[in-house]
Amino acid sequence: MSHTLLLAKDIIKSFRNGEQETCVLKGIDLNIPQGKMLALQGASGSGKSTLLNILGLLMRPTAGELMLLDQSLTNLSDGSLSKYRNQHLGFVFQYHNLLPDFTALENVAFPAAAPQGRLTGELRKRALHLLDRVGLSDRSHFLASQLSGGQKQRVAIARALINKPDLVLADEPTGNLDQDTAKQVMNLLREINRTDNTTFLISTHDNNVASKCDEIIRITDGKIAPT
Amino acid sequence: MPFSLLVSWRYITANSFQTLLLVLGVALSVVVFVFITALINGLSIFLTQETTSKIAHVELEPPNRIARVLIDDSRFVAQPVSTLQRKQIRNWQQVIDIAQFTPGVSAISPIVEGNGFLVRGEATRPVAIQGVEPSKVDAITNISAYIISGSAELTTGGLVIGADLATELGLLVGTPVLLKSERGAERLLPITGIFRVGLASLDQRVGFLSIRVARPLFELPDGITLLGLKLDDPAKAPAIATLLHNATQLKATAWQEKNKSLQNATEAQGRTGNFIQAFALLAIIISISSALLLSTYRRRAEIGIMRATGVSRQFVATVFILQGVFIGALGAMLGATAGYLLCVQLASITGPDGDAMLPIAPNEGGYALVITLTILGAALAAVLPARAASAVDPVEAIQQ
Repeated sequence: MSHTLLLAKDIIKSFRNGEQETCVLKGIDLNIPQGKMLALQGASGSGKSTLLNILGLLMRPTAGELMLLDQSLTNLSDGSLSKYRNQHLGFVFQYHNLLPDFTALENVAFPAAAPQGRLTGELRKRALHLLDRVGLSDRSHFLASQLSGGQKQRVAIARALINKPDLVLADEPTGNLDQDTAKQVMNLLREINRTDNTTFLISTHDNNVASKCDEIIRITDGKIAPT
Repeated sequence: MPFSLLVSWRYITANSFQTLLLVLGVALSVVVFVFITALINGLSIFLTQETTSKIAHVELEPPNRIARVLIDDSRFVAQPVSTLQRKQIRNWQQVIDIAQFTPGVSAISPIVEGNGFLVRGEATRPVAIQGVEPSKVDAITNISAYIISGSAELTTGGLVIGADLATELGLLVGTPVLLKSERGAERLLPITGIFRVGLASLDQRVGFLSIRVARPLFELPDGITLLGLKLDDPAKAPAIATLLHNATQLKATAWQEKNKSLQNATEAQGRTGNFIQAFALLAIIISISSALLLSTYRRRAEIGIMRATGVSRQFVATVFILQGVFIGALGAMLGATAGYLLCVQLASITGPDGDAMLPIAPNEGGYALVITLTILGAALAAVLPARAASAVDPVEAIQQ
C-alpha cells in the first residue's frame, strides 16, 4: 500500500472581486499517494487550475489544511513555502515557460543552482544526465529560444526533476503539442514515474493522457466528483 | 561565479543594444561629472597656484602689541604696552635655523619691510618697500620671471619696481628716483628693473631693494620685520604656521588667512559644481531605474517561473540589483575614461600666449569618487525594480 504524500483536507478557496465573493473550491479532500500518476480532469472553470496552484503551494487556500509528507503547510511563511516548492515539488506548464536567454542545461539546473548560489560541476552533470534522459543531451548548449515546442517541453520536464521532487505537478503538459510529441512526452512521464517512483498529478483535458494515468480525479463545480 | 551574477550578466547581455544605450547614457552623465569636477578643481588649482606662486606661504612677524586693560574700581583704562619699541625680529638668524629644519619649508627670505614715497620732480607715489637679500629676490615671488625691462639684480643697490608704478612716475630703467622712507630717511636710487606680475597690489605699489640698502632707510641696523617662507605644499601652510608659532612665539600667518576671498570664491565654485554633479548622478539613477523597471515588466513571466520553482525573492532581487551594478560599473568606467580623454584634449588647447585656454586639471576629475558614487547610485536605482521583481506573483505572471 502506498504512503500518503500530499493530503488536502476541506480546501476552500474564494476570490473577492469588489463586493462580490466567488467560491471556486468548495471543500476539497484529496489524498495523493506516493509513486502514483494521477490525472486531474474537469471542465473549464471547475477549479482545476486553482486546486493545482494550491497543491503546488503557489496560492494559499481560504480555509482547509494541506500536509506534505505529514508536515502541515498551513501556517508556513512565503519563504518557507518557496523552500518547500523548491525541494519537494516540480512543475511542468502548458507553455513550458523556459527562460529564453539561458541554455537548455542552464534552464534545467536553474531551480537547484539559484538556492545553492552556484552552477557547480556536479549540478551540470546532473542536468546533463536529465537532458540525456529526455533525449536532449545534444541540445544542452542550445538557447531555449532555439528549441522546438516538443524539445522545450522535454527540457521543462528535466527542469521539474532536477531537485528530485516528491511530486511533479503538470498543468496540461501536452496541451500545446502535436499528437506524436504529446505521446512521447506522456511516455517519458510514465517512464520517470515507474523508474524513479516520482509522483505525478497531471491536469489535462485530453482523455488519452488521462487514460495513461493510474487514477483520474474529476473536479466538478469546485468539488471532487465521486468515482 | 555566483549564479546570481551569471543570471544578471545574461540578462544585460541578452539585449545588448538596449544595454549599450543605457551604459552610454550613464557614461555621458559620468563624463559631465568628470568634466565639471576637473574644471572646478583645475580652476581652483590655477587660482591657488597663481596666488601662492607670488606670495609667501607663511609669514613670521613680531607679535602684535596688545593694549593692556587696567581695571580700577570705577573705570576701564586701556594702556598700550611697549609701543615705544620698534616691531622687529632681532634674533631672526635663530628663527631661520628653526624654520629651515621644519619639514615642508622650501625657502626662507628675511625681509625688511617698510613704506615710503617715490618722488620724481613734483610727482609722488606711495611705495611698499621689500628689502631682501639679493640672492633671495626670487624666493617668495619669482620676480625675475616677470621682469619686462632691466633685471632683478639687487647687488648694485638699485630699485626694482612694478610696471604700473613706473608708468605713473614715468620711470625707465636707469632713471634715478628719490625714495623717502617712513622714518624720514631719503636716498636717490637708480631703477634697475621693472616687473609686471599681473597682481595690481604688486605692480602698483611694490619696490624691491637690497636688504643692505633698506636697513638705513628704515633704521633697522640688525633686525628684520618679516620672515617670508615658501612651502613644498602650500595647502599645509596653516599647520606649519601653527608649528612655527609654537616654536618661536612669533605671529605666524598662513597665506589662506590673508586670502580669504580666494578661499570663499573656490568654495562657492565647489558648491556650484556639487549641484551639477548631483544632477548628473540623479540622471544616472533615473535612467537605470526606469530601464530596469521596464525590464522587470518585460520579464514578469520569467520571474514568475523562477518563483514557481522555488527561487527565493532575495535571489530575484539580487539579480536586478546586480544588473544595476553592472550597468553602473560599465557606464562609470567608460564615462571616466572618456571624461579623462576629453579633459586631456581640452587641457592641451592653448591660446596665442601658449597658456591653456581652459584651466582644466585632467588628473583631478574625481574618478574614484564618480566611479564609487555611480556604482552605489546604480545599485540604489535598482532597488525599486528589484523590489517590484521580487514581489511578482508567480500565478499571475505564469498565466500572462
